[in-house]
Amino acid sequence: MTTEPRGGLRVKESRRWYVLFLPLFAVIGLVAVYPLVMSLYLSLTTANGTPTLANFASMISTPTFFNTLNISLLYSLTSTILAVGLGLGLTFILTQELRGKGALEVIYILPLAVAPIVVGVLYAPSSVWDDVQQFMHFQLHMAYFNELTPSFYFPVMFFSEAWEWAPLIMLVALSIVSSMSKEVYEAADLHGASAYQKFRLLILPTVFTSPVMQFIVVLRFIDAMRAFEIPLAWSNWLGYTSTLGSPVDTISLYLYKLLFSSSLGFPIGMVSAIAVTLFGITLIGAAVLMRLLRTIGG
Amino acid sequence: MDKAKGAGGIARGSSSRHRWRRTLLYVFAILAAFYSFWPVMVMALEGYNIDIGVILAGFAGKSSIVIVGGVPIRISSIIPTAYYYLQALSIEAYPRLVLNTLIVSALTIAIALAAGIPVAYVLARIDVKGKSFIAYLLLGLRTVSQYMVIIPLYIAYSRFGIYDTYVGVALAEQLLVLTVVVWMLRGFFSDIPRDVYEAATVFGKNEWQVFRRVVLPMVLPGVVVTTMFALVLLWNEFLIADTLTGVATRTVAVGVWEGMSVNQLSFNALAWNSLNAAGFLAYVPAITVMLAIRRYLAKGFSLGMAR
Repeated sequence: MTTEPRGGLRVKESRRWYVLFLPLFAVIGLVAVYPLVMSLYLSLTTANGTPTLANFASMISTPTFFNTLNISLLYSLTSTILAVGLGLGLTFILTQELRGKGALEVIYILPLAVAPIVVGVLYAPSSVWDDVQQFMHFQLHMAYFNELTPSFYFPVMFFSEAWEWAPLIMLVALSIVSSMSKEVYEAADLHGASAYQKFRLLILPTVFTSPVMQFIVVLRFIDAMRAFEIPLAWSNWLGYTSTLGSPVDTISLYLYKLLFSSSLGFPIGMVSAIAVTLFGITLIGAAVLMRLLRTIGG
Repeated sequence: MDKAKGAGGIARGSSSRHRWRRTLLYVFAILAAFYSFWPVMVMALEGYNIDIGVILAGFAGKSSIVIVGGVPIRISSIIPTAYYYLQALSIEAYPRLVLNTLIVSALTIAIALAAGIPVAYVLARIDVKGKSFIAYLLLGLRTVSQYMVIIPLYIAYSRFGIYDTYVGVALAEQLLVLTVVVWMLRGFFSDIPRDVYEAATVFGKNEWQVFRRVVLPMVLPGVVVTTMFALVLLWNEFLIADTLTGVATRTVAVGVWEGMSVNQLSFNALAWNSLNAAGFLAYVPAITVMLAIRRYLAKGFSLGMAR
């Protein structure tokens, strides 16, 4: 090692460096590659090891599977759009000339550290909504509304997911704004542009065309596709704790319930089949992320 | 900067419309603050047995109706108490949950750092081939469904008798943190100019010395930030911890829910308070760590993409 020629450490001897990748490959092999192969095996065999396509067949023939897929897509799409909207709203406030901006930023970050499962609890009917109910009933003299109807709990689920992640969009947007050139801003000021105009014509286009923002939005969408905790909490509030294919079952929650459903005899094969299918879908997402990554120059 | 201020000053003096807009802006800012902390505050207060709904009803001279066990109960006054917090802290379960989480996190992060630091070092040090292969591998790891890993690992763990052990959980949690850790580290290592590496080599240091004496002290703050970020992720993680931990290794997030999922519709209304208290107790360390590294949050969540 000590006798290494100074000029030659660029690419020539690079093969030796690959030794340092081994720990990473070992970990990934153990926690990702082995499970992947094993999942494929489990999904393509019966419980006693004979090859079969029955697991995929029963996945496709179960209407609940497509139903949960739809719910997941809706959940993911809506909550991502909402999070971007709310996050940009917060960004708008923090890009204005305000007093106490530092304190405001800290307050706006608060939702980010709430564990997703606790978010499900925060927005439970008996928590925040109870107070809203009482306020609307006693102060605004309105009738009680039913918290357990789909037209109420779906929006609430989407909103609570967005509530938690809007600060992230805000932080990323702010980091993009802070790297914008100051001259453009000053020029806009000289021309008497209003705060709203500056936000709409300068900040928004920069934020949306930034690959970093696109990356984080796609990542958020993929994460929301795997959303589990908030639907789990709501399936509990609604009394669907062990109902397979309840209205709030996202894919992850459906798999969870399948995995622990004794009535179906713990269908590991079918759960693996669905997981493998999901893997195929997420690969597309990963490919999109990879493209963005190349743009950023990672 | 001065120009901007000047222009702003003229506008501010000249129109009442501008002042009206500024007021509106402050109203929005305060509303957004309410929107951010209100639910968290409700949780904290519920832990003290303070129900805002009851207070609101009290202002209207009415008593609030709370459904407990399917039966409406009239509540007209609140009795604040620290009982639920003290109970959560004093009973054996909660400290044990925290200890479990810290042990699992320490092991998880140790594995991730051991795998991540060499890779980050190489990627920052030389132009090695296969960079994008590693990037793709890590992105795949970050986006794969947890069930892909949970089921095979559960089967393997049961066979080798490491189900419900700290090591078993720590391995599975790599799915959550490994990508973030490697990427953040890579960013911190790349922030060191190449010249530093080369100067160190010129002074006759071997590769290990370059790493140990020169690079490591420079990236240590970055390693600390990465560790803290991973800690918050692990503290809040639910699905993997729920399926791969048993009674011996339960983590905080799982423990809080297992308590909270005591069915609301039963008469056990007391559990609601004590577990809101537990939820808030779990939140406080997470937000403390997060605010401590808040300059790096965008970086962490975007896998090191954002500055």
